[in-house]
Amino acid sequence: MKSIEKEIHLKTIGITKRFGGLVAVNHVNINVMRKSITLLIGPNGCGKTTLVNTITGIYEPDEGEVYFEGKNITGLPPDRIYREGLVRTFQIPSPFTKLSVLDNLLVAARDHPGEKFRTHLFRRSWIKTEEELINKAFEYLKILGLDKYWDREASELDAGGLKLLEIGRALMSDARMIILDEPIAGVNPRLAHNIFSHIVELRNKLGITFMIIEHRLDIALRYSDYVYAMNRGEIISSGTPDEIIRDEKVRSVYLGEV
Amino acid sequence: MIETLISGITYSSLLSLMALGITLLYRTTKVPNFAHASFVVFGIYTSYTLALLGYNPYLGTLLGFIVSGIIALILFYALLEPLRRRKSSIFILMMATLTYDILMFGIINIYADYLQTTFKIPARNVYLAPQDFTLIGLKGVTIVSTSLLIVLLMLLYILLNRTIIGAALRAVMENPSLAQANGINVSLMLALSWFLAGGLAGVAGALLPMYMMTDPSTGMLLIAPMFCASILGGLEQIYGAPLGGFILGLATTVLVSWLSGVIGYWIMTYSLMVPYITLIVTLIFIPRGVVSIILKR
Amino acid sequence: MFDVIILFITDLLAFFGIYLMLNTALNIERGYAGIPNFGLLFSYAGGAYITGHLTAKIAILLTGAKVEADPITQPVSALMVLNPILASNPLISITLLIIILLIGASFGALLGLIQLGPAIRLREDYLAITLLALGEVMNYIAIAYKPFINGSLGVQVPDVFSWIGSRYRFYLATGIILLIAFILYIYAEFLGRTPLGRAMKAIRENEIAAVSLGKSLTRYRAIAMIIGSAFTGVAGSLWTLYSGAITPTLQRFDWTFLPWLMIFLGGIGNNLGVALGTFIFVLINRLIIFNKHLLAGVLPFDIVWFDYISLGLIMGLILIYRPQGILPEKPYIPKNIRRKIVVSRSQE
Repeated sequence: MKSIEKEIHLKTIGITKRFGGLVAVNHVNINVMRKSITLLIGPNGCGKTTLVNTITGIYEPDEGEVYFEGKNITGLPPDRIYREGLVRTFQIPSPFTKLSVLDNLLVAARDHPGEKFRTHLFRRSWIKTEEELINKAFEYLKILGLDKYWDREASELDAGGLKLLEIGRALMSDARMIILDEPIAGVNPRLAHNIFSHIVELRNKLGITFMIIEHRLDIALRYSDYVYAMNRGEIISSGTPDEIIRDEKVRSVYLGEV
Repeated sequence: MIETLISGITYSSLLSLMALGITLLYRTTKVPNFAHASFVVFGIYTSYTLALLGYNPYLGTLLGFIVSGIIALILFYALLEPLRRRKSSIFILMMATLTYDILMFGIINIYADYLQTTFKIPARNVYLAPQDFTLIGLKGVTIVSTSLLIVLLMLLYILLNRTIIGAALRAVMENPSLAQANGINVSLMLALSWFLAGGLAGVAGALLPMYMMTDPSTGMLLIAPMFCASILGGLEQIYGAPLGGFILGLATTVLVSWLSGVIGYWIMTYSLMVPYITLIVTLIFIPRGVVSIILKR
Repeated sequence: MFDVIILFITDLLAFFGIYLMLNTALNIERGYAGIPNFGLLFSYAGGAYITGHLTAKIAILLTGAKVEADPITQPVSALMVLNPILASNPLISITLLIIILLIGASFGALLGLIQLGPAIRLREDYLAITLLALGEVMNYIAIAYKPFINGSLGVQVPDVFSWIGSRYRFYLATGIILLIAFILYIYAEFLGRTPLGRAMKAIRENEIAAVSLGKSLTRYRAIAMIIGSAFTGVAGSLWTLYSGAITPTLQRFDWTFLPWLMIFLGGIGNNLGVALGTFIFVLINRLIIFNKHLLAGVLPFDIVWFDYISLGLIMGLILIYRPQGILPEKPYIPKNIRRKIVVSRSQE
């Protein structure tokens, strides 16, 4: 392994998030290595999504710090965190329902001159970018098998389609790290494997780091490099997929339930 | 000065009754009720009609409670409940209350026109204070509005905290889907909250002509103070409403009158703007109301 | 008879034009950016009142006329001097018109900025309350602060359209209103097709997803609010110039509720739908008002209240049965892009 691949991409130190008296996330420390595919597992309600929400600025942490590429991004608003190069998807798909599938992807694009008030009036100044982005969006739509629905309203997609749309938007953002919240929940196994192999491919080709929350370990584990297991707001174990599968604590709280 | 203070307390009590309903509805239905003004105006015309027919206008508090409660129930069953069933957004529900307010404004004006032509009286200037009684130097409206506020607050507290219906209502406020799952008839509980809120507004409305000159557009003038009182108290806490009502009520009467002595009389012409400015400042700086500050400590 | 019909059509088109501007503005604010602007009256009345306040003053500056009377408190004597000069001088009249419209737009935009404070921070429901409350403030200011537009008496403004001859004055005014409404409409339609409009719609559809994809809520709401309020300000200006006078009596019903009703009727988010809704509504409304005298003796109350009730009922029905309007919003895909994509897909 090259040294750069050992570099820490995302680091949290003692992240804590409370809601009233309930501690949803309790002093969580995780390190996500650059160009890794890191899995975050744990039973429902164990704080995984809250952790992600706290990392990506939806919530402000009560304690602790988040570093992305060595920069402290604790408490920054979500749009600033996006600008830093960290993008996430949502467990409950959050499509822009009345926009077309294609537009949903285009919204995620970075630094579009047509979105600026000063230049939006001059179509010529942004139409080329728009066309390039459309081509790029189509590549992702093809990978995700959504290309035939490109001109439909996003609300017409089924649950699996919406999941894929979430991923498509994240990819479109040119992020250096993407956090996927249950990307293959409700997706058929063949497509699920397909999506994970594309994730691996994107990691290899573009060097994108992935952190993935997933329940379907039968599929997810074999594609990941490192795993964190959470329970009741705390990290209870971490290691390679093989280590995690054999871990007693993980087996009792998580695998035992499946 | 004492007179201003007493007048301020009366106004604050009335404002509190109105704000109480707004907060209650916001807690149960999650919608700011822009039709609250109409509920108040129906109260005004209930006691006015009673006075015209030769009854004691204070009977209007009881009848006004029922009339405005029913007006609120109609809004709930005709507009809000069908929309809620369709899972309409909060925005659509707000629009529905605004629409209902317009509709009721038309109806109350037609009623005022009708009174005017039938009884040959100026039904657009409703003022009943001359008919009010006095007791130990206090105006009747002051005694009745403050004591009714206290009594109704106590009744509301008992209803919410000491009865099965109240427990169900509180469950609906906390988590409607969970309440539904536990076999509570959410729709019925919401309807109850609309009846209560409409009724409280009706009581306030019925007393209003004893306090000030009113007409069909009085509701429109009061909608900002009502919301201001409710938000100032904190929309998340029912008992915040009277607190907000008194802060705002005293500010618009006592404070403004004191200021007009200090700064100059011209400030009085701007006194109508106090609730608007308080409302906006509150929303921007303490959107969860004064109660949120008190509870934090 | 012919004159009556022409009068009816002129009046109809003027109202259509003014409402089209307001509704297009509302469509940008709510239809695109999702801001529940229940305070449309704020910038509309602002535009109307600032025009009442400034038109005569600017006319004095432009014409260099010697006017002894204060144009706010003694408008009649001021206008006796100003109107003849404007009537004989089209160039100055047009310059005055343009300046006033620019002022209306800027003042509207400024008021939009004030509304923005809450618009950025608050949740939809709290925001609606604040904007509704703000909408009422402008009338209080105009009534309380006498030097603005002479308190509740209001002001008359110089006539910038009379140079064409008093016979054609209303036609010209209506023509200009329609022209400006058309320009604003075209702009709104264009905006909806730009990536800027798309970003606004994304925020409307899902704030959290949009902000997580780098779209600053503040920025895009600000842009929508400022554009919308500038439009509204222009509409207010034109209303004052068209009527020739203004009093601080602009009502929430006419200038906030009705625009909302029209955009719901036509289809929120769809400009063509909004225009259609506006036309249908104004046509029916004007027909009723034009024939109001037929009902005057029949009903025991003023017909205007019947307006409130019928419109309230219509709005209720729309909300329940067709909240998407006559022409619902559709995703926009430029024709050339669609063609390109279809061709490239068929080659594979």
